[in-house]
Amino acid sequence: MISVSSQINVTLAGALIALLIAGLVGATLWWMLHPPESHVMRIAAAAERNLERIVGSLIVAFSPEIDSAHVMALAAKLARGERSELLALYVIEVPYTLPPDAEMTIEERAALDALGAAETIANKNNVAIRTETIKARSTKQAVLDVAKREKANLIILGSYREGKYSGAPLGRVIEEIAADAKCDVLIGVEGKHGTLLIDESVQSTSQEA
Amino acid sequence: MTAGSKRAEPELRRSVTPWGSFSWGYSDVGADIFVGLGLVLAWAAGASNVAFLFAGIVYVCIGLAYTELAATYPVAGGGQYFVMRGLGDIFGFVAGWAVLLDFTIDVTLFAWTSVDYSSQLVPALVNSVHPWLHFGVVLGLVVGLCLLNVIGVRESTTFNGVVSALDVISETCILCFGFLFAFRPQLLIHTMQMHWPSSYDLMLGTSLAIISFVGLESISQAAQETQRPASIIPRTSVSLILTILIFALAYSNLALGLHPWHPITDAAGHSQQFWQIFPNNPDNQGKAVALLAAQVPYYGAFAALYVPVLGAVLLLISSNSGVFGSSRIAYAMSTSNLLPSLFARVDRKYRTPVISIVFFSAIAVVELIFAAAPALFPSVSSLYARFFHGENGLDFLADLYAFGAATSYSFVFLGLIGLRLTDPLSPRKFKIPLNIPMRFRGERVEFPFIAVIGFIGIFSILMFTLFTHPLGRIFGPSWLVLGLLFYLVYRRYRRLPVLRSQRRDWRNAQTEILRRAGELELMDEYLANVKASDARRAGLGT
Repeated sequence: MISVSSQINVTLAGALIALLIAGLVGATLWWMLHPPESHVMRIAAAAERNLERIVGSLIVAFSPEIDSAHVMALAAKLARGERSELLALYVIEVPYTLPPDAEMTIEERAALDALGAAETIANKNNVAIRTETIKARSTKQAVLDVAKREKANLIILGSYREGKYSGAPLGRVIEEIAADAKCDVLIGVEGKHGTLLIDESVQSTSQEA
Repeated sequence: MTAGSKRAEPELRRSVTPWGSFSWGYSDVGADIFVGLGLVLAWAAGASNVAFLFAGIVYVCIGLAYTELAATYPVAGGGQYFVMRGLGDIFGFVAGWAVLLDFTIDVTLFAWTSVDYSSQLVPALVNSVHPWLHFGVVLGLVVGLCLLNVIGVRESTTFNGVVSALDVISETCILCFGFLFAFRPQLLIHTMQMHWPSSYDLMLGTSLAIISFVGLESISQAAQETQRPASIIPRTSVSLILTILIFALAYSNLALGLHPWHPITDAAGHSQQFWQIFPNNPDNQGKAVALLAAQVPYYGAFAALYVPVLGAVLLLISSNSGVFGSSRIAYAMSTSNLLPSLFARVDRKYRTPVISIVFFSAIAVVELIFAAAPALFPSVSSLYARFFHGENGLDFLADLYAFGAATSYSFVFLGLIGLRLTDPLSPRKFKIPLNIPMRFRGERVEFPFIAVIGFIGIFSILMFTLFTHPLGRIFGPSWLVLGLLFYLVYRRYRRLPVLRSQRRDWRNAQTEILRRAGELELMDEYLANVKASDARRAGLGT
């Protein structure tokens, strides 16, 4: 049997020293773990604070002129990381020679393909997505109206389709949307070989091979 | 070659957080207290608290020197880099080579004592009873730690960080409950008056209390992988110095003034004070913290169960710091052309210096075999007795450990003085206090008075080590001579200056160091200092 001393020596000096030790160790470690922020850290913190405002609600716009398929994966990853609302919008521009609700079978079929692909990408990234197809006289105005209705923070656009170059470097509609939008606009322009969404390491490996 | 045409070589990852940096140092220093407390109480008796105070003063000097240097030059390599930059290549090599000796021994010594500590709970691990099992477990630990470090620093830092946090909490609890429930101020005064040691014993006790050096070296070696090192390292270093100083002073005072929970008696049945169980009792000396924890009322019942385990784990992560430290020093030395470039190769997958880690772990295994041989092969024991003055393998390692630490830190103080004189333009976010303003080669410099005090202190310990340890006196300098010969051959083979230093553009190097460290404000300050200095010199020239 282990004998135990019945005397417990609680002294004022002992209690004060115990308090001092706990306080000093705690204060020292707290001071160590809270270094001042650097200029770079302050910039980064401000950017992060703005991020939610920037990407709270996203619209990815498609049209026969705007090819956004390659930025859809990027938008889905962004939406997943920031838990943003995501809307894929396909605008079919109806010429003035036709009534506003004219049937445009080829364009509507293309819209189904584009939005179907967008849904697939979103599902793969486990992101909730809404899709919408609208017919309008002006693609630019349609995109801006929907952005206003949805209170969108960011419109994401691809670039012009090959063969439909209209004189503006990025495509006329894209430049007009970027110029007139009341929110941020992200334009994903593919490089010469379409490297925007290709894994760089895979590419370099294939080049080395 | 055009810009961007070559893929950049991978650099060491900047993944060490403030707590990670602290825990790398704490893992070394905290473990030393587990071993050192009993030894100091055994020799310094009623003056143990004074011995820790003396040792603490030298320790603070070393700590402050490392803090300033690591924050100013946040690169892997620690002491050897500072010495190389302050005194020249050959001195940098000597300092680095001495620390390499220290860290490889650290790996073996602390893995070994970790298993010894575990043997308190698992008797099968006692070396004298089952030497082969003991050897196998230590070997397994060394190999395991090697692999952990190969995988990457984040993994190792997490391991260290968790155990360090547990130990800080545990030691704080032991001390707080101990002072609260079992401390008698009158007993402390009585012990100091009645059991004051002889001067020789006090010096010996003080030298044993000073084993807490290598932890700060670990912080500076992790500098290249620490986030914002110039800002973080001063905080982690100062915190480490303060925490360890608080623990060491508190433990020694508590031990001398402790009223034991379980009455202690000698063989004749006479009542004893707590500290009196340590003289002439190596078993107790090796587990002082566990014994003290068990004597804390109430809390001791719980502490007696976990403190031996925690001690063993802490010793193990101290061993891990040895693997980390040796590979990082070798990495830095090879990038400075003090060692072959093989040691600078960073693995593309893990982004760690794999070759360095494996090579120096292999040296640690050789040292382990050397240390374990007398127990494993009885015939070897007589050889050791004949040629090594009867000391066993671990004594031999301990001698070299003390020699390596004292040698390298002596050079570090000289390096600090040299850098203050030759590189006054580098911004020092932390500066050792008590400086003497003066002019040197046209620049205003501040001579570090504390560094002189520290050098005298550590150089005395080096002399004391050489004087009192016959094996350390022979094998320590032999390790240095062997290294120097290798260095001379390597430098001649590479057609580099052998005795003089290689020409380096330190200005660009310092700018690059600060840029890589992410200390952009300091980089701007440094560039402004350089510009102002150049303008001043140009003005003087005309």
